Amino acid sequence: MSTLKEILTRRPVAATIRLTVPAGGARPAPPVGPALGQYRLNLMAFCKDFNARTQKYKPDTPMSVTITAFKDNTFEFTVKSPSVTWYLKKAAGIESGSSRPGHLVATTLSVRHIYEIAKIKQSDPYCQYMSLESICKSIIGTASTMGIKVVKDLD
Amino acid sequence: MALRHFFKHLTILTSSYGFCTLSSRFIHPSLTTLFNNINPKAQPLIPAKFSLPLSHCYTSLSHPSTSTLLSPYLSVRIRCPKDIADVFSEALMCFGASSTTVDEDDNCDTSNEICIESIFPESEDVDVCISLAADSVGLKMIPSYEVKTGEHYDWIKKTQESFDPVEVTEGLWIVPVWKTPPDVKATNIILNPGLAFGTGEHPTTRLCLLLLQRLIIGGERFLDYGTGSGILAIAALKFGASFSVGIDIDPLAITSARHNAALNDIGPENFQLRLVSSNTSSPSADEHKDIQEQTSFEAVAESEHETYDVIVANILLNPLLELADDIVSYARPGAAIGLSGILSEQVPCIIDRYSPLLDNISVSEIDDWACLSGKKKLSGN
Repeated sequence: MSTLKEILTRRPVAATIRLTVPAGGARPAPPVGPALGQYRLNLMAFCKDFNARTQKYKPDTPMSVTITAFKDNTFEFTVKSPSVTWYLKKAAGIESGSSRPGHLVATTLSVRHIYEIAKIKQSDPYCQYMSLESICKSIIGTASTMGIKVVKDLD
Repeated sequence: MALRHFFKHLTILTSSYGFCTLSSRFIHPSLTTLFNNINPKAQPLIPAKFSLPLSHCYTSLSHPSTSTLLSPYLSVRIRCPKDIADVFSEALMCFGASSTTVDEDDNCDTSNEICIESIFPESEDVDVCISLAADSVGLKMIPSYEVKTGEHYDWIKKTQESFDPVEVTEGLWIVPVWKTPPDVKATNIILNPGLAFGTGEHPTTRLCLLLLQRLIIGGERFLDYGTGSGILAIAALKFGASFSVGIDIDPLAITSARHNAALNDIGPENFQLRLVSSNTSSPSADEHKDIQEQTSFEAVAESEHETYDVIVANILLNPLLELADDIVSYARPGAAIGLSGILSEQVPCIIDRYSPLLDNISVSEIDDWACLSGKKKLSGN
């Protein structure tokens, strides 16, 4: 719901750019360079801004960032934390999910892992209004599509 | 070696010709032209029935260079229905694209299709990725697309074109080298922005320049920790410092800073640049170990510590926290130290880390960015 003022002063959008950049590692090289350079956006400003905002993440976690480039060469961007599947793979220490999810179990994780992942995800702009319990439920759902079983305690 | 890449595409194309009922338009324009260029005597393997638009063919083979900055990349232009563009670009990202760009085209309302321009690393298999993505989204046919290898010089030039002279404060301008200074009598810093940080437009550069203006009275020795394009070191000299040193871990930054110093007629007698190793322990301990790895590593002599009157470090939160002792060790007791590149919300963390080392800490802010300044404690610790 945008206010009238926002609608009137909305700048015309030139393009929407999606990128995957390692946290704290944005450089004016491909893929950031060509994607942003094409719309004459200030590469260095983006790199500095992005790196500063991702300082709290472990270096080199792949963050997905969506940039809205406006026609006057300015831009805005939102950074999202890495995908749940990436976190699950890292927590389990596996390279890829099970080849036959539902039939073949790749690995197991404990509820603690899910809880930790849910806490990180809650700081995402899109998940802030969800209760921790519902975030956990959705993570467990994603885990089952990858063939990862969730148990109460790992022994 | 770049030819190998195209042959791979060729075999996929010919094998899928047998199953071409699914994909009605499977277009590789660059392929035939290139193949014809290379070996005009051979019969083209692609049947003449396929009409290949040559609008986006590219003719020059860009030579892959070793540095990742100029490494070749694949740029793919895909046409797909408008309503699934968002989902499709997310799917592409999951399956291997480094980036996807969707153009907002207002005058394209009549047609149903939209263009997605995607960038892949050179080693990625574009066809597999696109077909997997189309599959996961629910598209019945693979959308048409064109592949070309990206010309890296294009985007570098484009970003450089967008720089204009910037007035940081009254009487101080930062001017790109290809523009004329709007005010010839003001202090003008001429820059070639290049690929190193520091063009004068960013709030943190501004904060640091304003701080420098207050701190430099004349004759100081200045250290720019993380110099980037060298802008702060050059500015310090213009404000009246006697000697400026810039250090950085990025060789590109050092080259850029050297170039910019030359543009401002600053010689090596009052301006020096050093490339330092990027491990966090002090250079004097590790320099013997690393000296084989670094090509142009110049050791910072032990006597350099505690000799600078003003130090500014415009980097990022984590390096500032890790290198706190190192940064402060270069200053003489009572020297002024400025820290930036931090967001306003990160300031408490920095204050925590630096309060045992600095007195009189003050914070200035522009937009979301902050700059901390303090004086090194007089009693040694």
